[in-house]
Amino acid sequence: MRAHRHPAARVALGLLIPILLLALWQAQAEVGGARALAFVPLASIAAAFAELAASGQLLTDAVTTTSRALTGLVLGASAGVLLGIAMGLFRSVDRLIGPLYHAIRQVPLLGWLPLIGLWVGNGEAAKLLIVGLAAFYPTVLNTYEGIVHAERRNTDVGALFGFSRAQLLRHVLLPGALPLILTGLSQAIAFAWIATIGTELLLGAGAGLGATMSLAQAQQRMDVILVAIAITGLIGFTLNTLFARLRGHLLRWQPAIA
Amino acid sequence: MTSNLSRIGFGLAPLVALLLLWQAASAAGLFPPQVLVAPADVVAALLAMWRNGELVAHLSISLTRLLIGFGLGAAAGLAFGTALALSRLAEALFGPLFQALRQVPVLAFLPMLVLLLGIEERFKIVVVAIAAFFPVALAAFDGVRGVPRSHFEVAKLYRTPLLPFLGRILLPAATPPVLTGLRIGLTRAWLVLIACELLAAGSGIGQMMEMARQLFRIDVVLAGVFVSGLIGFLLDRGVKLIERRTLRWKAA
Amino acid sequence: MNVTTLFDTPAAASPPIDGALTIAGLSKDFTVGGRSLPVLDGIDLVVRPGEFVSIVGPSGCGKSTLLRLVAGLDTDFAGEIRLDGKRITGTDLDRGLIFQDHRLFPWMTLEENVGLALLNSSIPKAQRARIVAEHIALLNLAGFEKAYPHQLSGGMAQRGAIARALVTEPKLLLLDEPLGALDALTRIHVQTELQRIWLRQRSTMLMVTHDVEEAVYLSDRVIIMGAKPGRIRRIVDIDLPHPRERSLPQLHRLRDEILAELIQPVPTPGEPENLVRLPVREAM
Ligand SMILES: Nc1ncnc2c1ncn2[C@@H]1O[C@H](COP(=O)(O)OP(=O)(O)OP(=O)(O)O)[C@@H](O)[C@H]1O
Ligand SMILES: [Mg+2]
Repeated sequence: MRAHRHPAARVALGLLIPILLLALWQAQAEVGGARALAFVPLASIAAAFAELAASGQLLTDAVTTTSRALTGLVLGASAGVLLGIAMGLFRSVDRLIGPLYHAIRQVPLLGWLPLIGLWVGNGEAAKLLIVGLAAFYPTVLNTYEGIVHAERRNTDVGALFGFSRAQLLRHVLLPGALPLILTGLSQAIAFAWIATIGTELLLGAGAGLGATMSLAQAQQRMDVILVAIAITGLIGFTLNTLFARLRGHLLRWQPAIA
Repeated sequence: MTSNLSRIGFGLAPLVALLLLWQAASAAGLFPPQVLVAPADVVAALLAMWRNGELVAHLSISLTRLLIGFGLGAAAGLAFGTALALSRLAEALFGPLFQALRQVPVLAFLPMLVLLLGIEERFKIVVVAIAAFFPVALAAFDGVRGVPRSHFEVAKLYRTPLLPFLGRILLPAATPPVLTGLRIGLTRAWLVLIACELLAAGSGIGQMMEMARQLFRIDVVLAGVFVSGLIGFLLDRGVKLIERRTLRWKAA
Repeated sequence: MNVTTLFDTPAAASPPIDGALTIAGLSKDFTVGGRSLPVLDGIDLVVRPGEFVSIVGPSGCGKSTLLRLVAGLDTDFAGEIRLDGKRITGTDLDRGLIFQDHRLFPWMTLEENVGLALLNSSIPKAQRARIVAEHIALLNLAGFEKAYPHQLSGGMAQRGAIARALVTEPKLLLLDEPLGALDALTRIHVQTELQRIWLRQRSTMLMVTHDVEEAVYLSDRVIIMGAKPGRIRRIVDIDLPHPRERSLPQLHRLRDEILAELIQPVPTPGEPENLVRLPVREAM
C-alpha cells in the first residue's frame, strides 16, 4: 500500500486528522453542560467570524497588530544590524557592548514587562519596546557573525583593489554577511510576531488581536478566541512566506542548494 | 587556564563598570527611587527574600512547572517527530496539521487554554509542554530525516530489530540536532512560563514580579529580572555543555 | 570591434618602459604554534619590464607567499621588494594578482565584478563601462556580462578573474596558478589567450605554475624553487621568440630538463646535510 504517495491521497490524508478533531470538538459541544462553555459548536465559531468580519473589528485588529509588529521589527532590526556591524568591525565595541548584550539577552523577553510597565506604562511605547527587543536580539547576533567571519579570500580581493574601510564594508563585508543577516531577520520576524501577541495579551487594553483575545477570555467567548488564533497563525504564515520570497530574491546570486 | 580566566575577567569588566556607574548615579540621586533603585538595593532585596524563604519558594514552584512541562512536551515532541520522520503515513496524516499549528505563536493559545483548563497548575504545565513540544518535534524530525540512507540500508542488511536500531543507530546519529532542538525548546518553555505566571498565577517568579510591579517595588522587579535571566542562562549553558560532551564523544 | 584588430598586430606594441621588479634579500617567517618557521630565505630576483617569468617548485615551498608579498597583501617580511625603484609597502593598482581560484564575488554579476576593480582607479567614470566591456570581450566572455559567477563554468569564471585583473592595466601582473583549476583543453585555450594579451599589453608577468610545459611555453625565464626554506635553485632562460609553436622541439627539451631538475633534488653547495632526510629525523 503506497496510497500516501499519491498527491490527491496525501491531501485527503492530511485533512483526515483535522476533520476528526473537529468532529470530536463538535461532539463535545453537543454533550452540553459545563463543557459547552469551552467547546463551542463549530457553527458559532463561523458565526463569530462573520460577525467580527462584518463589524470591521477583525480588520482593525489585524491591521493594528500587524503594523505594531512591523514597526517594532523595523526599529529593532535596524538597531540590531547597526550594532552587529559596529561590533563586527570594531573590537573595542565588541568588548564593551558584547558582554552587556549577552547578559541582557538571557532575561526571558516578557520578563521585562513589569519593569517596562513601571518605567513607561502599559501603552504603545511598552509594546514597541518589547517587540523591538525581540527583533533586535537575533539581528545583532547574526549580523555580527556574518561580519566577523568574512572570508579572507574575499577581503584579500578588496585589499588588492585598494578599498577603503567603507568600500570594503559596502562591497565585500555586507554582501558577504547578507545570507546570515537575512537569517537573523527571519528569526526577528518570528520573534517580533510572538512578542506582539504576547504584549497585547499581557497588557490588554486597546485594539489588536491579542487584546481581543484577552477580552474574549474575560467574557468566556471561545468562538472569538478561536477566530483570533486562526487569524494570528495566518498572518504569521503570510509574513514568513513573503520574507522567504524576498530572501530568495536578494540571494539570487547564490547557487541553488538543491 | 589563567588566560581563560583573565579573558572572562576582561569580558566582565564593562558589566562591572556599568554596575558601579549605576550605583554611583543612584547614590547621587540621579534617578527618583520609583524609577530606578541602586544595584545594592536589588541585592538587599534578593538577600531578604532569600532569607525569608520567599525566593526559594517562588523559584522552586517555577522550576517544578518548567521541569514537568518541559519533560512532558519534550518527550511527546521526540516521539512525534521521530514517528513522523520514520513513517511516511504518519507524516501524511499529521504533517499538515503540525505545520499549520506551528504558525501560531504559543502565547496565542493562552486564552483558549485558560477557558479549557482554568488557571490552575495543569494550565501552566500544558502551556510549557506545548512550548517545548514544537521545537523538539521539529528537531527530532529533521534529525532523524537527516540520518544518512546508508545507515538504514546497513540495518536492513543485518535485519537489526527495531529497538536496537533506534538505540544503536538512530539515536547517536540524530542526537546533535535534537540537542539543539531541546535547548531551543527549554528557552521557549522558560519564556512562556514567565509569561503565564505574569498573566495568571498565585506563585512563581513571574507572579513575584507582577505583584512587585503592582506594589511599585522596583527592587523586587529588578531582582526578578536578574533571577529569571540567571535561570535562562544556566539552562542554556547546561544543555550546551551536554551538547559539547556528546559531540566530543561522537568525534572520538 | 577594434579589440580584435589589436590581436592581429602583436608585434606593433612598443617595448615597455616600466614594470621592473627587484627583489633583494627577501626572507619571510611564519609563526606556527609559537615556533618560527622560515618559508622564504634570501630570495634575489630581477624581472625586466615586460618580461614573462614563471616560477615552478614543490608544493609548500613558498610560491604563493612570495606572490602575496609582492602584491602587498602581507607586509611583514625582511629584505626589499621594489617596483620601478619604489619600495612596496602595501597593495596598489599598479600590481594585479590572479589567484588559483577565481575569487569573483558571488553576489555580483561578471560585469560588476570586473568594474569593481576600477572603483579607486583614476579612469574617468564615463569611460569605465566601455573599458569593462572591452576586457570582457577580450576574454571571449561577451554575452555573459549579467551572469553571476555560479552561472559560469570554471574556465569562464577564471577568465573573468583575468579580465578583472587586467582592467586596471597593472604594470606588473602576478598569477598564482591561474589555470590550475582548468581542464587540459580549456587550459591550452586560455594559455593562448594569455599570451596574446601579454603580447598586446606588454605588462610584466610573474606566474606561479605546476605545469612545466605551460611555464616553458609562455615564459622568457623559468625560476626553479626549492623547499624548506624556499630558495631559488636555478633560473632557466627560454630564448625563443613569441608567439611560439607548442610543438617546438627546443621547448620539449627544456621542459624535460626542468622536470628532471624538479624530480631529482640537486645538492646545494655547502649544505649537503639537506640532502639525506631520514624518516627518523623527520619524526623528531
Ligand atoms: N598564513 C600562514 N600561516 C602559517 N604558515 C603559512 C601561512 N601561509 C603559508 N604558510 C606556510 O608557508 C609555506 C609556504 O606556503 P605557500 O602557500 O607559499 O606554498 P606554495 O609554494 O604556494 O605551495 P603550493 O604549490 O601547494 O600552492 C607552507 O609550509 C605553509 O604551511
Ligand atoms: Mg600556492
